[in-house]
Amino acid sequence: MIEVLAAVEGNIHHGLQAAFGCAAAAIGVGMVGMKAVESVGRNPGASGKILVQSILGMALAEAVAFYALFLGR
Amino acid sequence: MPFHTKRLSRYAILAGLLCWATSLEAVSTAPYRLAEEPLFGLPVTNSMVMSWVISLLIVVGVRVLVKRPKLIPGAGQAFVEDVLGGIRGIMEPIVGKALIGKVFPLLIGLFVFILIQNWSGLLPGVGAFGYKDAAGNITYWMRPGNADLNMTLALALVSSVGAWTYFVLRYAGPKALLYDLFGNKADRNEIPRPIYLFLFPLFFMVGIIEVVSIVFRPVSLSFRLFGNVFGGENLLVNMNEMASWIFPVPFYMLEILIGGVQALVFTLLTAVYIGLICNHGDEEEHAH
Repeated sequence: MIEVLAAVEGNIHHGLQAAFGCAAAAIGVGMVGMKAVESVGRNPGASGKILVQSILGMALAEAVAFYALFLGR
Repeated sequence: MPFHTKRLSRYAILAGLLCWATSLEAVSTAPYRLAEEPLFGLPVTNSMVMSWVISLLIVVGVRVLVKRPKLIPGAGQAFVEDVLGGIRGIMEPIVGKALIGKVFPLLIGLFVFILIQNWSGLLPGVGAFGYKDAAGNITYWMRPGNADLNMTLALALVSSVGAWTYFVLRYAGPKALLYDLFGNKADRNEIPRPIYLFLFPLFFMVGIIEVVSIVFRPVSLSFRLFGNVFGGENLLVNMNEMASWIFPVPFYMLEILIGGVQALVFTLLTAVYIGLICNHGDEEEHAH
């Protein structure tokens, strides 16, 4: 059993790393989007400024996914 | 019991789909070399030729649209002016009124180049013909330049190292830069003396973290663009593999959206990096 687990883990950790990194980035992007929509609902006049800020926040959160995908091999 | 069998069959279908998805093909990250012999010491790759073609298209396209600038613009000139005005309106509050005139040529150049480069992957023929290498990865004869890490790395170095250093040192000066990174930004009159002195090492540490984040900016800029464009190419290939008709169309729409957003993000981040250091005087005027 332990051998099987080790074998599975040995093959799977690249995929797991990418999966966790992308999941975390997706949660971050989702939270930014949620708050952006919320704030546009509160103050529709500021939608232009909020769009810029939220795109920036999403971009920074998204970078984590690419670190996980490319850097940590 | 029927509930369980239903559930089981659902899992079986899901597992089947997963196996199908994992057996799909991947696009090779390596570029296709057009010439075996390097030209002037550099290998000529399909990404390079694509970016030359795009640059030529942009130059010729703007020339054809605008012809000679007139006071009352024709349709082409109005279109170009509209694009310029829209991007300028977004960038102006970030970079600041004083600097926007100087930074704007860089920003609009980056934006248009990256935008057309991203969308070039959707042209018929680009990312469509190629051959399979030994590992089973597809290498395309034509592909968008931003699907090559060399290209995005060059763009990131131009924007966040070259241009950033130039604009910050030229328009803010090394003193303002050092103060912005390591200086004590607390108000001397409002904070008791010992705490104020204690804040010096604290701000210095914060400055070191800031320097690390600045060093990582080109990496994140280039990886973001490369990951999005290359991932998009891969996505389109796999979706076309699954079903060639109708099914990939929404993903082409998604790619149009992502191409625009990523071009905007790259330009916005360049503007923010410059504006963070250079845009101080403007804000204070607004605040009082």
